[in-house]
Amino acid sequence: MEIGALGLYVCLFIALYFEVFLLISFLEKRPSKKSALRPAFYPTVDILVPCFNEQETVGKTIESLLAMEYPQDKLTVTVVDDGSTDNTASIAQTYAAKYPNVRFYTKENGGKYTALNFGIENATADIVGCLDADSFVAQDALIEVIKSLNDNPSIMAITPAMKVHEPKNALELMQAVEYTFGIFYKKMFDNLSAISVLPGPFSLYRREVFKKIGLFKHAHNTEDMEIAFRMHSHGLKIVNAHTAYVYTTVPKTVRALVKQRTRWSQGFLQNSKDYAHMFFNRKYGNFGMLVLPFGLAAFAAGLYTAGYMLYTVTSLIVNRIADYSATGIPLHMPSFHFDWFYIQTSMIIFVTVTVISLTLFAIYMGAKISQTSLKPRSFVAYFALYGFIAPLWLVKAAWGALLARESVWR
Amino acid sequence: MSWQKYILAFGITAAIFGTAFYIAARFDSARVADIRATQEAVSIDILSLETQFDLLGNLPCSIIADNPVLSDELDELASRLSVAEGNLGSDNAEVISLKKQYSLLQIKDYLLLQEVSQKCSSFEPVYVLYFYSNTGDCTDCARLGEVLTYLRQTYPGLRVYSFDYNLNLSALQTLIALRKVRGDLPALIINDRAPVYGFRNLEQMEELIPELSTLSTTTATTTER
Repeated sequence: MEIGALGLYVCLFIALYFEVFLLISFLEKRPSKKSALRPAFYPTVDILVPCFNEQETVGKTIESLLAMEYPQDKLTVTVVDDGSTDNTASIAQTYAAKYPNVRFYTKENGGKYTALNFGIENATADIVGCLDADSFVAQDALIEVIKSLNDNPSIMAITPAMKVHEPKNALELMQAVEYTFGIFYKKMFDNLSAISVLPGPFSLYRREVFKKIGLFKHAHNTEDMEIAFRMHSHGLKIVNAHTAYVYTTVPKTVRALVKQRTRWSQGFLQNSKDYAHMFFNRKYGNFGMLVLPFGLAAFAAGLYTAGYMLYTVTSLIVNRIADYSATGIPLHMPSFHFDWFYIQTSMIIFVTVTVISLTLFAIYMGAKISQTSLKPRSFVAYFALYGFIAPLWLVKAAWGALLARESVWR
Repeated sequence: MSWQKYILAFGITAAIFGTAFYIAARFDSARVADIRATQEAVSIDILSLETQFDLLGNLPCSIIADNPVLSDELDELASRLSVAEGNLGSDNAEVISLKKQYSLLQIKDYLLLQEVSQKCSSFEPVYVLYFYSNTGDCTDCARLGEVLTYLRQTYPGLRVYSFDYNLNLSALQTLIALRKVRGDLPALIINDRAPVYGFRNLEQMEELIPELSTLSTTTATTTER
């Protein structure tokens, strides 16, 4: 076996091991169904909406928060404008003037984490949450989250099930599939007590978390990831409320998507470096032993597979062109006649089919537990595009991390 | 954190890999069995034809002209053997054994062709003995193989017998010695002429085999290996 193919087997083994591990976790503890039960009590909640130039969506974001089924006297919406240069501030001010439980602050631009910290410092509620100004919550999202928090006082932070808001173009449809199996993965990480990120769209914290471990940090523009790492390092519990739905707008262009994912991936690499002591450290449980090492391995495997495929396909094309040029054989379409003998039945095919099948299972389960319905064209977009686009941000992130260059937000 | 889960996941993953290996190996075995069965069928056909010659002393030349001996089956065998070689590797014992059988069948078919052409003056076959190597010392062999495959598809009457020069088969080595083929591969023997060496493109091959003009043509539609 050539060394390149051997590397591919290693990548497939890593992917399969990870999927099998999550499958075992799933069989051990299946996600519960949404119940009609109401919370035993309603703690005070302050949802922070940090925003920078979000005039298109901030109004809808605030409205979705105000429409939540939750006692309005227990809910505060705090909009922190991080020095927007568009109409974000005036739109948010309108809501603050109209609704007594909407507060509005504006400050000089300093980055998302500074807006969040500003809001936290001014918060008095038991629970402090965050909602990106391009995301919208389901009406019962807060109820679902609070039920989980009420059930277990040791839970210090909680994440929702994130879905793509009204996916339309191919790129959004592709991300809809990705987010759906992300829902399954996140729930399985919850089973393993190893959630690795508290995303901007509707992650909630007990306010005491910030007293214990401090406020958000710049953290290579991935403050939501770093806070999760820091919470794990302090032994604070993070769970996932898979029945709490939040809808987020996703990048519509390849350029914007690559920029966003480069920031996430590079953030993972740089935060991993900052928290290197947690890798393969039993003290941090499955987070240190599985999620962190496999996150890094998946990154390397993605890069390797993309590189190997690019090399193989390019070599094939170059060789074919050289062959045609040397032999003088005219170009012609190969005929197709079915004969089992010529079907590719190598080991790598069977392993790849297994990996894809488990991925499809994860997507199916993610859709089932979050009551998401995916269109067939979403799958077409996912399988046709993801493999070509993902390597772009992996390479950019690796390069950025290597040069210790800061990633950009937009 | 439970170590059992880590070990169990490893065990299941290894089992899936093992199963994939087993299934792939079963398919390869089935392919080898398929090739062997075809070779046996071809072998019986050759034996039958030889026996017909022995029984009748002579076979009506019209029958020979209408039934172009075995080259179609041999072409299909070559294609299948190429797939098996690609999957199992050229140094696989099973592949080597199949190649030896295949080479023997080709030699027998070639000898039969010689015999028929001597007895039937109207039967004028056009054939090429092609000697190649796949040990990495013949970069042009694969390309010349493609040219010959294309010619074979374009001129169905053209018979191409391909031999692995390095195959340890006494009958083949005898043929190589008899036809004085040197190791400067690729080498071609066209219709009993002296060996020619080196790569030839499609145009050069057509010039090298002027007899091709006597053969009917078809539009090449496949690129079998």
